[in-house]
Amino acid sequence: MSSEARLQPAETGGQSGRRAEKGTGGRLVRLVTGSAAWLPLLALLFVVVSLVVEALPAIRVNGIHFLTGVAWSFGNAYGAVVKTHGVPHPQGASYGALPLIVGTLASSAIALLIAVPVSVLSALVLVERLPRSISSLVGLFLETLAGIPSVVFGLWGALTLGPVLAHHVYPALASVASAVPGLGYFGGYTGNGEGLATSGVVLAVMILPIVAATARDLFRQVPDLPKEGARALGMTEWEVATRVTLTWVRSGLIGASVLGLARALGETMAVAMVSGVELGAIPHNVYAAMSTVAATIVSQLDSAFTDSTGFAVKTLAEAGLLLAALTLLTNVVARVLVRRVASTALPVGRGV
Amino acid sequence: MARYGVAVAFGAPSGADGQPSLAGTGEQAAVSLAPVPASDDLALHLDGSRPSPAAVVTKGLTLGFGKRTVLEDVDVSIPRGRITALIGPTGSGKSTFLRTLNRMNDRVAGFTRRGDVELDGESIFGSHVDLVTLRRRTGMLFQRPNPFPMSIADNVLAGVRAHRIAKKAAWPAIVEARLREVRLWDAVSERLGDSPFRLSGGQQQLLCLARALAVGPDVLLLDEPTSALDPLSVEAIEALLRELVPALTLIVVTHNLAQARRISDQTMFFFEGRLVEFAPTDRLFEEPAQPETARYVTGRIG
Repeated sequence: MSSEARLQPAETGGQSGRRAEKGTGGRLVRLVTGSAAWLPLLALLFVVVSLVVEALPAIRVNGIHFLTGVAWSFGNAYGAVVKTHGVPHPQGASYGALPLIVGTLASSAIALLIAVPVSVLSALVLVERLPRSISSLVGLFLETLAGIPSVVFGLWGALTLGPVLAHHVYPALASVASAVPGLGYFGGYTGNGEGLATSGVVLAVMILPIVAATARDLFRQVPDLPKEGARALGMTEWEVATRVTLTWVRSGLIGASVLGLARALGETMAVAMVSGVELGAIPHNVYAAMSTVAATIVSQLDSAFTDSTGFAVKTLAEAGLLLAALTLLTNVVARVLVRRVASTALPVGRGV
Repeated sequence: MARYGVAVAFGAPSGADGQPSLAGTGEQAAVSLAPVPASDDLALHLDGSRPSPAAVVTKGLTLGFGKRTVLEDVDVSIPRGRITALIGPTGSGKSTFLRTLNRMNDRVAGFTRRGDVELDGESIFGSHVDLVTLRRRTGMLFQRPNPFPMSIADNVLAGVRAHRIAKKAAWPAIVEARLREVRLWDAVSERLGDSPFRLSGGQQQLLCLARALAVGPDVLLLDEPTSALDPLSVEAIEALLRELVPALTLIVVTHNLAQARRISDQTMFFFEGRLVEFAPTDRLFEEPAQPETARYVTGRIG
């Protein structure tokens, strides 16, 4: 009864609102706002549909080999044009994107492994340790770092970071790793600084500001009361941070990492500049040249247009779909992960 | 007589009252926490035959924030094994006093202190004093329940783990013993792995009490521990607090005068930054020595 009474004025208000909309002005507003609301959906639909239409012939020809094969060849541009399933393509054209999938996932994984601990720790220090003035100054740096165009990161990676890592860091890392059984992937020839490891490091620097800024905002939301309780219980500041503050925002931190991951997966320019663009082989060790799906699309587009059958471009469209699917998949996995962490309580006391 | 689960924490099974009830709750007896060797004083006191010596002594304690003095020149001896209530209007300095006893004010910007606080005859501000140890000996319960974002069982164990009090194998027994001690076991035994945030406010506060008791404190500081709870929970917690003495020394800040009368053995009345009166609770409420006390306890100021 009371809810009815409360609803009454709102309903009459709604009716008078609808009456006002009958004028031409109201209709115009509805048209503009309505189309504005639908525009993003339409744009997404348009992009997906045109990608699928463009890629469909390539999907039919490449088949499952696109996901499992390792060769990447436009075929003989001067030879005869052959048809498979009615789709014309140069003789010998063969596209296997497995190395690109591996490269995309591996470089993003390296980036996350470096960037997440670093940014979470720095955010923790920013919020818990530093005075507000310094904290906001560092925040400004973070935002500046986030705003640097990726081509600049690519240049820096190719000209400065890559060579430095290749001369001073990778050899030491490789010699340590070769002494440890099971770390064979981190040993061996360390290359010239263009490859998987350098791509991962550059990506780490690029996603660091996103993850750190998000983590910082999360830590600011942790209430004081449980932290005080932890201190009153005799926990050290480190224990307060790791056992209370960090666990308080755990699901949010996964979300922040997913933000970083999404950027790393799709990052194109910088990776194209530091990866070494090796399309036809899965990187044999962590320093080897490789490529990612995104970097391949941008680095191969020019030569793809020289394929008179248009098959190379269609294949790149298929690669675009693959990238979208990869990103979607990781997002879904991350969402499931967040939900699980947020809703179920944690394993009872590791031992109880 | 009440169960002396807490006495186990002191490793003082010599208490005459403690023995039979320990046998009654087998799980508790099995848990040997014994972190702090029992002092002779305590053992004697558990016997019930000696007057308790002071657990906490303040000497000329003056507290402030920045240039503002919040509390001036407090000299008191808070007896061991009793409940001492701290009453007074908002801003009278009683919470600041309480939070100085476990040095929670150290982190507050601009906090100033003169004078000293002694716990068992030793200054808590001495250069050799370890904050971690001090806080293990002085547990704290806050105005609002503040469980940690971990399972119910992990909450009880949080301090046990931080101080490495017991081996992993003993953890389940500790969880059960502490939850039984605060009468929460039956309600949560089937969902020890669940989040504590689904418990009621009163249950959360009991969980926080169990967490504080699990590290075996000598002194328990309570900052308006029931002000955010429903009447039934208040009753449950007050009854529990009565059972914690004389094994522990309880110091309770409360705005609820009736609560102070119900649970405390003696009461300190703070007013305008001074300790006005410190007397056995009955006397302070019925024959207050100071005019301010009389006006406050009869509701004419505050």
